[in-house]
Amino acid sequence: MYIKIIRNELTKNKLITLTITVFVAAAALLVSLAAVVAIHLFGAVDTLMTQAKTPHFLQMHSGTVDRTRLDSFAAENSLVEQLQVVEFLNVDNARLFIGGRSLAGNVQDNGFTVQNEHFDYLLDLDGKAIDVADGEIYVPITYWKEGLANIGDHVTFNDQAWTVAGFLRDSQMNSLLASSKRFLISRNDYATLTGAGSMEYLIEFRLKDTSMLGAFATSYASAGLEANGPTLTYPLFRMLNAMADGMVVGVLLLVSMLVVAIALMCIRFALIAKIEEDYRELGVMKAIGLRVSDMKRIYVVQYAAMAAVGSGVGWGLSFVFKGSLLENIRLYMGESGQPFLAWLCGVLGVLLVYMAVVLYVGGVLRRFRSLSVAEALRFGHSQQAFAGARLFSLSRFGKLGANLFLGIKDVLARKRLYVTMLVVLILASFIAIVPQNVYSTISSKSFSTYLGVGEYDLRIDIQRASDLIGTAAEIAETMKNDPSVARYAVLTTKAFTARTEDGTGERILVELGDHSMFPLHYSKGSAPVGEREIALSALNAEALGKQVGDALVLTTSGKDRTLTVSGIYSDVTNGGKTAKAAFVDEAAARVWAVVYVKLAQPSLAAAKAAEYGSRFGQAKVSDVEHYIVQTFGSTIHAAGLAANAALAVALLITLLVALLFIRLLVAKDRYSIAVMKAIGFTHLDIRLQYAVRSAFVVLIGILIGTMLAGTLGEKLAGLVIAQLGASAFHFETQPLSAYVLSPLMMLGSVMVATLIGTSSVRSIKIGEHIKE
Amino acid sequence: MHRLIVGENIVKSYGAGDERRQVLDGVSVAIDRGEFVSVMGPSGSGKSTLLFCLSGMDGVDGGKITFEGKDISALQDNELADMRRMKMGMIFQQPTLLKHLNVLDNIILPSMKGNSKNTAAIMSKARSLMNRTGIAELESREITQASGGQLQRAGICRALMNDPSIIFADEPTGALNSKATQEMMNLLSEIHASGTAIMLVTHDAHVAARAERVLFMRDGAIAGELTLPAFSGVDDPTRLSKVTEKMREIGI
Repeated sequence: MYIKIIRNELTKNKLITLTITVFVAAAALLVSLAAVVAIHLFGAVDTLMTQAKTPHFLQMHSGTVDRTRLDSFAAENSLVEQLQVVEFLNVDNARLFIGGRSLAGNVQDNGFTVQNEHFDYLLDLDGKAIDVADGEIYVPITYWKEGLANIGDHVTFNDQAWTVAGFLRDSQMNSLLASSKRFLISRNDYATLTGAGSMEYLIEFRLKDTSMLGAFATSYASAGLEANGPTLTYPLFRMLNAMADGMVVGVLLLVSMLVVAIALMCIRFALIAKIEEDYRELGVMKAIGLRVSDMKRIYVVQYAAMAAVGSGVGWGLSFVFKGSLLENIRLYMGESGQPFLAWLCGVLGVLLVYMAVVLYVGGVLRRFRSLSVAEALRFGHSQQAFAGARLFSLSRFGKLGANLFLGIKDVLARKRLYVTMLVVLILASFIAIVPQNVYSTISSKSFSTYLGVGEYDLRIDIQRASDLIGTAAEIAETMKNDPSVARYAVLTTKAFTARTEDGTGERILVELGDHSMFPLHYSKGSAPVGEREIALSALNAEALGKQVGDALVLTTSGKDRTLTVSGIYSDVTNGGKTAKAAFVDEAAARVWAVVYVKLAQPSLAAAKAAEYGSRFGQAKVSDVEHYIVQTFGSTIHAAGLAANAALAVALLITLLVALLFIRLLVAKDRYSIAVMKAIGFTHLDIRLQYAVRSAFVVLIGILIGTMLAGTLGEKLAGLVIAQLGASAFHFETQPLSAYVLSPLMMLGSVMVATLIGTSSVRSIKIGEHIKE
Repeated sequence: MHRLIVGENIVKSYGAGDERRQVLDGVSVAIDRGEFVSVMGPSGSGKSTLLFCLSGMDGVDGGKITFEGKDISALQDNELADMRRMKMGMIFQQPTLLKHLNVLDNIILPSMKGNSKNTAAIMSKARSLMNRTGIAELESREITQASGGQLQRAGICRALMNDPSIIFADEPTGALNSKATQEMMNLLSEIHASGTAIMLVTHDAHVAARAERVLFMRDGAIAGELTLPAFSGVDDPTRLSKVTEKMREIGI
């Protein structure tokens, strides 16, 4: 019997069947993909870091290394399993060419290294430690992805040339967010490069127990060992590796949740409409003693059938799409090694969608319990269903005109029905607006202030210079005399030890100088002013357990300096652990210096970067737009594509759902339409009433959706953007596109859907519905 | 000219192919201004279809219908709708009121369409009609708070709001008890007395006997016709016996 009911109902309402099945399929596809990608991603990150034996603790260091002291520290520290000091020969990008093309404009710190002996292996695309021959070179995989290098190309530096033999996966520096990139050459070739660049040491440790990483970092800092550079740890490497594709998983999950919500709303609408239509029959069923569970089953089986088909189709489609989503992960990190788990999670995701639909249908049908037999048999409808908006009567609001009144009245009187359409439209406008706002925010120049990068035009990094003070002074003098420079600031980063809660010391890098010249966006508090204030990056504040207003004791040259935390800011530079202060301290060791420059004509930034780049060979000059494009370019591009795709999806959802709703309403309202025709309303009048209903609902939907996008959307987007290192931010919107064009397009979609959906009004015959 | 509606050789069928069923087979009928015409006949004889075709609520397959001299098949959708709203009033067996409007709003709806500036005059007319039909207390009630008879009277008020030339009533007493039927017929007689034409379709010989002319239909055609004197305001048993006698004569 149930098969017969399912077949009859599903074929009778093809549009509803198709729309709901499509939404369930889309939801199942997205949930399944998110599960598969997440399992592959985390598996692949683990595989990569296991195969490469990524260091648990890494101290970057410029300057000499006392190997004996390090060895004895490692030998005496019970946590250390292995120590390795890796050389990284940082070279001038302008002198490095791949396939004849210079890397001069590249913002990455490129350099040469050799294969490591004990751990931190550089891997080939099969996940094996690379054994490189003389004359060959392995290039970071990201340069192949960007189309800069191919196998067989020549890489030249000074007068030497290597042939690209392959591409390498670097478990530390794969990500574009890692600012350095390692090129792998043979030991013989490396030996010939002595003195060709600035040497940076990677002091790497593998620990016996990674849960003691914090304790180890403290003991390293308190031992006063080499620490002229940032400190990085295993969890940070894991985060850098997982970030880009992790965001894809996050977006997939978010979108799939929205699609599931929309599918459920469509089901709710279709069910409520159907129950209203069948009200009298339901009353009869109840009157003759059918149990509520029997009545529910008749409806549940139909939706369970749709959900089963939709889930199956979605799951099948996930096999088609997962290849392209996993491509990036496979390229950068390799296989996850957990194909069965990924398959299982994909199936579980689909089952979750199926169960959500079936349970939701059961939930909506709970109203059968309160169905009044007397009401159903006497009126054929629930009194509650039309009970709304009694005060909104034609006698009071007749001036609106009959059609406008009837359109609004219907929405107000049947709120329970229209609230479903409203929720979908709110979700759709949310989907349309939030990604646009995210895109306009992260592509705006001021967004850099959320990332620890001030609003400057040029940034000159002095890190490799043998005479750091002299070079900084020379550059400052040049800036002072250059009329095209509007203002500049020299900020010097020095290393200090911060006293933690438990009395131990933690090494932190503090950027000293005038921070008012190029202000950042502070998520809490403000920039440090005077001798007694310090601002901390979000990661540092968390690590040190400090809030704005707390005291922080810094030790330098044996002297304590008590400072107040004036502000907390987001930072993506130098592993996210930075600090800023305005005091002067000549005793502490300089780690590096940066000159920030604002030009009178920002359009000259690229030309000036090139000019200063060639003039100050020991410094790295980059213009900020270039810096942001190279660091976040792919993210911004992806966000732009996502914003357009989201708008298209939102419009499509709006069109489809509005079409479904209007078709259902017209089918349900056949009797009322016939009555209106009988008393002298034209087809056009009736279609106009539907247009008013749609416009009324869509305008409220857009209004609420836009408000939610600006509040909840900003918070949600903040969570995603926090993954980039920005802890708190506000939307930079483009009002024309977000608040005018998108709403107009949505309104247009709904009107088109209404126009199509009400085309059947003409064919409704008065006699067929009224004649006895 | 006295003719209000003239239907000539009306042909109407429903369904298609083997299922096609001819409901009106070349019916010709005319109704004068201010005339009260009843149509009687067994179920399926085509009486309601004739009413729907003459009022323009349904199209015809053949023949011609003119209302106040205008060929209604030549009218556009909006002209036809205007004609139904301004010149005709409709009453059906079940009260065809819109569920989401209260009783008063249902009554004034046809008048408010395209005439929203005269709300005060419209309201005043609606109240006067509600008084006249004995449902004044229903003004702000929802339709679920009124009885079937009261709703039927509300339907009559709605039909009269635009002072129509004719009322089309399709089995208006079919769902009413004898007392409510009597009240309804008194009301229709009163409306007729004020100069409005009425075309009433019914099974009930008592109801049909209130008319000045009774048409008897069988198998999609007019099988006979009976003319009665004007209703005096008091039920006269001879009117009923004439109707039943004619029915026997025709064999329905």
